[in-house]
Amino acid sequence: MKKELKFKVNGQPYDIYVKPKTLLVEVLRDHLGLTGTKRGCNSSSCGACTVMLNGMAVKSCSMLALQANGADIMTVEGLAKGNKLHPLQEAFLDHGSYQCGFCTSGMLMALRALLEENPKPTKEQIKEGIDGNICRCTGYNSIIRAVTAVVKGEYKEAK
Amino acid sequence: MSKYSVIGTRVHRVDGPEKVTGSAKYTFDLVLPGMLYGKVLRSPYPHAKILKIDARKAKRLVGVKAVITGKDTIGRKQGIWRRFPELCDEEILCREKVRYIGDPVAAVAAIDEDTAEEALDLIDVEYEPLPAVFDPLEAIKEDAPQIHDGVELNININRHIEWGDVDEAFEKCDHIREDQYKCCPQAHVCMETHDAVVSYDYGGKMTVWTSTQSSYYIQRLMADMTGLREGDIRVIKPPTGGGFGSKFELDSAQFPAAILSMKLCKPIKIVLSREEEFTATKRRTPMYYYLKLGAKKDGTLLAKEARVITEGGAYTAMGATALYLTGFFSSFPYKYPNYRYDGYRAYTNTAPTSAMRGFGAPQSTFVGESQLDMMAEDLGIDPIEIRRKNGMTPNYEVPGQAFIQSCGLHQCLDKIETHIKERGKLPPNHGIGVSAYGFMSGGIFNWFDTPYAFSAAVVRINVDGKVDLFTGACDIGQGSDTTLSMICAEELGVKLEDIRIHAADTGICPPDLGAWGSRETLMNGNAVKRAAADCKRQLLEVAAAKMAPNIVYDFDIKDCWVHLVDRPERGVSYYDIVKEAIRGRDGNAIMGRGYYTPHRKGMISPAYSFGVQVAEVEVDPETGRYKLINVTTAHESGTVINPVGIEGQLEGAIMMAGGYGFCEDQPMDEGKILNPSIADYKLIRSLDMPETEILEIDTYEPEGPFGAKEAGEGLTNPTAGAIGNAVYKAVGVRINDLPITPEKVLRALKEKQKKSK
Amino acid sequence: MIKDFEHFAPKTLKEALTLLDKYQDDCKVICGGQSLLILMRQGLVAPKYLVDIKGISELSYIKDDKDGLKIGALTTHRTIEKSPLIKKKYPVLAEMETRLASIQTRNWGSIGGNICHGDPAGDPAPVLIALDATLTVAGTKGERNMPAEDFTLDYFEVALEPGELLTEIQIPAPPPRTGTVYTKFNIIESDLATVGVAVSVTLGSGDGVCQDVRIALGAAAPMAMRAKKAEAVLKGKKITDALLAEAGEKASTEAEPISDIAASEEYRRELVKVLVKRMGNEALARAKRA
Repeated sequence: MKKELKFKVNGQPYDIYVKPKTLLVEVLRDHLGLTGTKRGCNSSSCGACTVMLNGMAVKSCSMLALQANGADIMTVEGLAKGNKLHPLQEAFLDHGSYQCGFCTSGMLMALRALLEENPKPTKEQIKEGIDGNICRCTGYNSIIRAVTAVVKGEYKEAK
Repeated sequence: MSKYSVIGTRVHRVDGPEKVTGSAKYTFDLVLPGMLYGKVLRSPYPHAKILKIDARKAKRLVGVKAVITGKDTIGRKQGIWRRFPELCDEEILCREKVRYIGDPVAAVAAIDEDTAEEALDLIDVEYEPLPAVFDPLEAIKEDAPQIHDGVELNININRHIEWGDVDEAFEKCDHIREDQYKCCPQAHVCMETHDAVVSYDYGGKMTVWTSTQSSYYIQRLMADMTGLREGDIRVIKPPTGGGFGSKFELDSAQFPAAILSMKLCKPIKIVLSREEEFTATKRRTPMYYYLKLGAKKDGTLLAKEARVITEGGAYTAMGATALYLTGFFSSFPYKYPNYRYDGYRAYTNTAPTSAMRGFGAPQSTFVGESQLDMMAEDLGIDPIEIRRKNGMTPNYEVPGQAFIQSCGLHQCLDKIETHIKERGKLPPNHGIGVSAYGFMSGGIFNWFDTPYAFSAAVVRINVDGKVDLFTGACDIGQGSDTTLSMICAEELGVKLEDIRIHAADTGICPPDLGAWGSRETLMNGNAVKRAAADCKRQLLEVAAAKMAPNIVYDFDIKDCWVHLVDRPERGVSYYDIVKEAIRGRDGNAIMGRGYYTPHRKGMISPAYSFGVQVAEVEVDPETGRYKLINVTTAHESGTVINPVGIEGQLEGAIMMAGGYGFCEDQPMDEGKILNPSIADYKLIRSLDMPETEILEIDTYEPEGPFGAKEAGEGLTNPTAGAIGNAVYKAVGVRINDLPITPEKVLRALKEKQKKSK
Repeated sequence: MIKDFEHFAPKTLKEALTLLDKYQDDCKVICGGQSLLILMRQGLVAPKYLVDIKGISELSYIKDDKDGLKIGALTTHRTIEKSPLIKKKYPVLAEMETRLASIQTRNWGSIGGNICHGDPAGDPAPVLIALDATLTVAGTKGERNMPAEDFTLDYFEVALEPGELLTEIQIPAPPPRTGTVYTKFNIIESDLATVGVAVSVTLGSGDGVCQDVRIALGAAAPMAMRAKKAEAVLKGKKITDALLAEAGEKASTEAEPISDIAASEEYRRELVKVLVKRMGNEALARAKRA
């Protein structure tokens, strides 16, 4: 028996019906076609599915979609404003903070949430912010350099 | 002032915008109209006969469209060593026998993943379990169960490398060491698991979208295994979430999807779960290593003997190459006047072991650098000094094996020596360990269709000056799309933004062996450079006709300006020349072709990159736990084409190579991998990652495009050895079997304490 | 894959208890789902009914008064980690939460859910035992309280009857000159504990004799356990290095660790020995500063 799910994703309201067993990541990817959010494991350990829910970073594979009822979700597709990239995205491009790119969406959302909570994190806090996200390609340090540059104010947020 | 306009500059990767916005569509994201979802049924036994498969209940489940087994295939075996049929031993969908836990026996196509998974439970397979063997040392015994017919003692490959006379040389040595090591397996853990969408249409043509390192190999192997013509199979590589050596063989997502699609004429998508990824895809080859090293008391190395037996797993895969390369790189990066290597690969009833970044060299570097440090200590010689004394130099010939042209090893040693001195006196329980390495820029050997490796590229210039670059090279995250675009832009004299790359689509791109053995920059780079040069030559002919100087070679293009080299102010815009060139030829496009194959460069590789790495650790002697504080690498890779790319490769390699020494392992029980999840398979995360420092050494490799050579795989070699040597320097214990866990360190410390009492 | 189930999202405790009472063993409770969903995705747990209590806001709170701290069972790890009150008065709780999994997990998972999961390697349980916490469990017939150390019974088994919910954790205000600390041993920083140790030391007035001590171990037995024999070494004595070492020895023998892929039994005992000694020392230092 499907149940109603009313929530906002990237500012857009949705009113859909889902089977209770549907995970949030499945609604985002399969129902709404937002395939930016990825899945990389079945043990809630890799962080590739990270999205923001009411401003907090959460693993969308580890949450029933129905638990997002009434919530405000942001996925990687909601970072840019129109065709203007978010400072984190610009910084990632400049610092080469991604390679294969599969972990990148989750990484960016974890960082977006970190900066939302704490606009001036220390290096240690940045590392902690992405400790739930596995990257097999970059070795993390280029990501940390990118975020540090954003924190320093080297990038302007689009209006 | 750099003489280059594009290469050597810090650029955004060409695939950057799509990746940072989540708009890149990986195979994982692909949805086609009418697409069905597939799942694979796998053997729960490490060794068994398949007696009967009853899929009737599964077929009746609502939503299931087809169930296939090995009997639905044409019954061929495949393997990547295609020129040696005895090494093509893997059916993928097993017909009569299964040889490891995870060996596929059936596959289902259904309307959704859940239904497909449910259907698997309804397939009844009757097995007759057979005795199984898991350790290679057991597998080679007389009474061990035979895993493949006709393979005595389960040894299906042996390799021998020799020069000089080691036995005679050992007689002359002042000091000899004999040591044994055990190198563990390692999982690639690509963030995107193996996956494929295969669509076979009513016209008999197949299209494959797959996460791969070589669309070329997949196309050819798929043709072998389906009976289709190669030309009727088109393999397309979408953005790919990592490869690291796991994705250039035909796998159990691609092949079952193909058979199902041929049966149904519908697109089939199979995505391996993370558990399947750990248990049923190829892994780094575990090895037992015996090393004998002999030196004079002044530290000159005279002889080295290495004997290896590898855990091959159930099928050959790329295991023969790993076996050979580990033996070859056991002689790196030092000049041994006498050397002997014997390697044996034993089948075992475990998941097949094959290629993983470094391809046998991380293993050989760990064991070699560990032993060399011990030799240095025995002789009372500084670890940098002994490496300096014996290190390879430019234009050195590995006797009868390979010719090293450029080599910056000594500069790397100097840089590292300075770094260690600057570090000064270390706090207690800290240690700095050194490890030196060398690695190849692509293998010359090819055991697939042609005896030589090759790359090809095509460049086409549009009337507006925009350039289309066609190459078979596979960007799996290492950035080959960007690096090759940069090489093309530099050679043609245009901007990076003028290049649009089309890669790894067998339907439109020329063939390339793919991304493995660190070959893309050198081999494909050369092909791209030649193709671009071909186009340039055609443009310069037009420019010459237009401006009428004496000979065409007086012209060049730089920064989109076609000009006389001697009088650069005399020129025409590249865009204008292009228009004229195309209009003047009745709209005929300007196309250039480039091809590269490394002839007359020995048997291994056309070029080698070198480096020296140090790791600093801090050990807690009461628990054995240690922290990775800093990893500094001095490395040389010829001309740096893509600096952002190289830094990324270096730092990323430390995460993977460090993991090999620090925490990654696949413990097994009776052939069953005990930690097939990212929760249980330990990986270095951001809080565990050491500080990294890169010290660039300037070298130039004549064989490479603009002087470039590899920088991606070699960097995976040294870290385990550096960590081992660092732990020894910190607390005086040496761990000879990977990974170096706190428990092992504590046990060794306690034994040391006992002995000293 | 997850099997189908019927989903209820009660908004009050009363509603939830009514549902649990109705469905008994056929239902499971989900809050943050950070442990449960892993099991459900792997098909290890497949309830017919799921009572989703994440929305019962009345069970998410941190209250502090002269008697002590009261934490609603649904309070997220992150809320506890960031609470200025907890950082000031019960810092060991915030410190423990900082090392628990990842920020993502802490944002959504609850302390109650973690404890009810009954993982012997869980971080909160030994800390609550060391803090002498009491847990309140509610059912349709009423409430009952029990000490934290009586809550975990065996591997993934806790003292919850069908129809019952954990509702509150009470931590008594620490006596003066009390210090409580927690650490866990692992190779990867945010990993589950290979061994976890929580120690609480209360010093008497004057010459610093150890008036009370509580030592709790995680991942060293089928459930979080108190190392009472180790405590007996220190209680009533002036704590010295030698005594701490002896307490560590005792703790390592009374622990019942297993061998698994993370560590051998022998190594776990060694870690208990070393960590009890070290945490005893740190708790002592914290008590002196209190």
